[in-house]
Amino acid sequence: MQRVRLGIIGLGYIGKIHMNHSLKLPNIDLVAVSDYSKKALREAKNAGIEKTFTSYEQLLHESDIDAVIIALPTHLHFQCAIQAAEAGKHIFLEKPIARNVEEAKGIVTAAHNNSVKLMMGYHLRFNKTFHELKTKMANGILGDVEVAYATFISSGPFFHRSESNTPLPVPNWWFNRELTGGGALMDVGIHIINLLRWYFGEIKQIKSHLGYRFNLDFEDSAICLIKFESGTSAVITAGWFLQGYQLKIDFFGTVGHAFAQHSTKSSLKTLVQRLTLSVPEFRQPHFNELHYFANCLIRDSSPSPSGEDGLKDLEAVYQAYHNSICLD
Amino acid sequence: MKQGIINSLDLIEYSFAKETKNVVIKPNMCYYWDYTTGQTTDPKFVAALIEVIREKISPQINISIVESDASAMKCKYAFKFLGYEKLSQDYKVDLVNLSEDKTKTAKVSSGGYDFKLQIPQTIQNADLKINVPKIKYSVPKVKMTCALKNIFGCNPYPKKFKYHPQISEVIVALNKALNFDLCIIDGNRVSGIQPRRIGLVMASRDPVAIDVAASKIAGINPKVVRYLQLAANEGIGTTNIIHRGIPLDYYKAIYPKRGIQKTLRRKAFELITALGLNKKLGLE
Repeated sequence: MQRVRLGIIGLGYIGKIHMNHSLKLPNIDLVAVSDYSKKALREAKNAGIEKTFTSYEQLLHESDIDAVIIALPTHLHFQCAIQAAEAGKHIFLEKPIARNVEEAKGIVTAAHNNSVKLMMGYHLRFNKTFHELKTKMANGILGDVEVAYATFISSGPFFHRSESNTPLPVPNWWFNRELTGGGALMDVGIHIINLLRWYFGEIKQIKSHLGYRFNLDFEDSAICLIKFESGTSAVITAGWFLQGYQLKIDFFGTVGHAFAQHSTKSSLKTLVQRLTLSVPEFRQPHFNELHYFANCLIRDSSPSPSGEDGLKDLEAVYQAYHNSICLD
Repeated sequence: MKQGIINSLDLIEYSFAKETKNVVIKPNMCYYWDYTTGQTTDPKFVAALIEVIREKISPQINISIVESDASAMKCKYAFKFLGYEKLSQDYKVDLVNLSEDKTKTAKVSSGGYDFKLQIPQTIQNADLKINVPKIKYSVPKVKMTCALKNIFGCNPYPKKFKYHPQISEVIVALNKALNFDLCIIDGNRVSGIQPRRIGLVMASRDPVAIDVAASKIAGINPKVVRYLQLAANEGIGTTNIIHRGIPLDYYKAIYPKRGIQKTLRRKAFELITALGLNKKLGLE
């Protein structure tokens, strides 16, 4: 395989980002896309994608597709991933892996039983600054990291959904806990849980305090205390309440301190990068993860973060929900 | 807040009619943005207003808080997220989604256009209608949002972008048709280039006059706000304001006004949009 023949299922916010990147990547041929929105499919056609489908089942029947990106709402991950695995397609699945642990286990098993590769979409692992932090840890510059603080607070799906200050409608599924599986911890907190597991290994115990400022049926903020098997303790904060975006990790080791931050986008820089048709800096991690996924398929190596990682992250989130402490 | 409301009503020599039975309060809800952003009316401000109304008229008076669905906002979620559901329980007031209310059709002309507007029953039946807007910047065509624009949210039709080509005329038509009695601006926190707490409470019976004052505070020339001029021409109010209380210049000085950098960025975005490049560049 020289290039991966790819299909994208779901052209919502993240699906469109993957579509744009796939069209630029040298190791991917974007063959087909599926979405229920005819407008989204028209845009895909205009971007030069040959095959467009209103149902993903049709896309999965295409024999010239090696792999699919599943960028659907969380509650649709299970059914779609199972069908993709059974159709023999390798899978890049957006986080969280599923809305509950049972469905997540089903997805991992289906990928294994059908011998397809399953990679989870956690783009932060492909961010340069977070990589540098891992290198610092590995080189012993920090000593033993005793305590880590990780914060990921954004506006979430409800409080700002546009780059141009004009709010976009929130899809209905976001309002239903049955469909999302959870709130801010499930949506953004899971990113830092995955990242910290990458740094420190498996979680021994996790407890949480959940916040409900906006009276949602799920948490709009969460503070978690984590103890890792390796001995490191961590405090993570996830939230959906900020009219902005903050993602920062601090490590305090026995020798030194280091931190990494996912830079917020600069409008002017982004505009220039877009005008020159290059990938904006804040989108680079998404671009890199897709490039890596395609390379794993070409080289027949196992991608990471894997489906098992996705499952462990989800189990940690549910453990946090189960072990929530009320401080009111 | 309560004292601020009482003081502002005293300044305009407003007294509540004792025979009032049904009150409608129209706060500004915009998307699901928290009141701390300055974009939406603080439910605590509305709570203070409810207390004033009940003290001045009667503790048993019926009060409805009204809002309607919009293209990107569902009322039932906005009421819940923004704290109005809790307010409704704590203060025993009704929350009315005007998009689900019974309506009557009214023909209204404005700026040479004839509109058929749906008038919600809850507003028709109210004998006191209070507009509780915010002061904030808006899209270039509208420029600013305050009392007159807040009434656009009383239009029960959810896909409000349908009215955008004649937005100024529709704002004025709705104000003509619904004829709110009193405006009290929740200017404790305002939204300019950033939110800021300026502690302003301003009241008027005249939505045009209060918008003129608000536009001056926000650093916008009222003459360039089209719907404001149109509203004055249509007889909704006057642009010649008589101001009482703390001078407007005090609030103007602390309002987070647009600087040259923001203005240039906005102009650049308008240019990009006009050239049709915004979608291509992923700026929409």
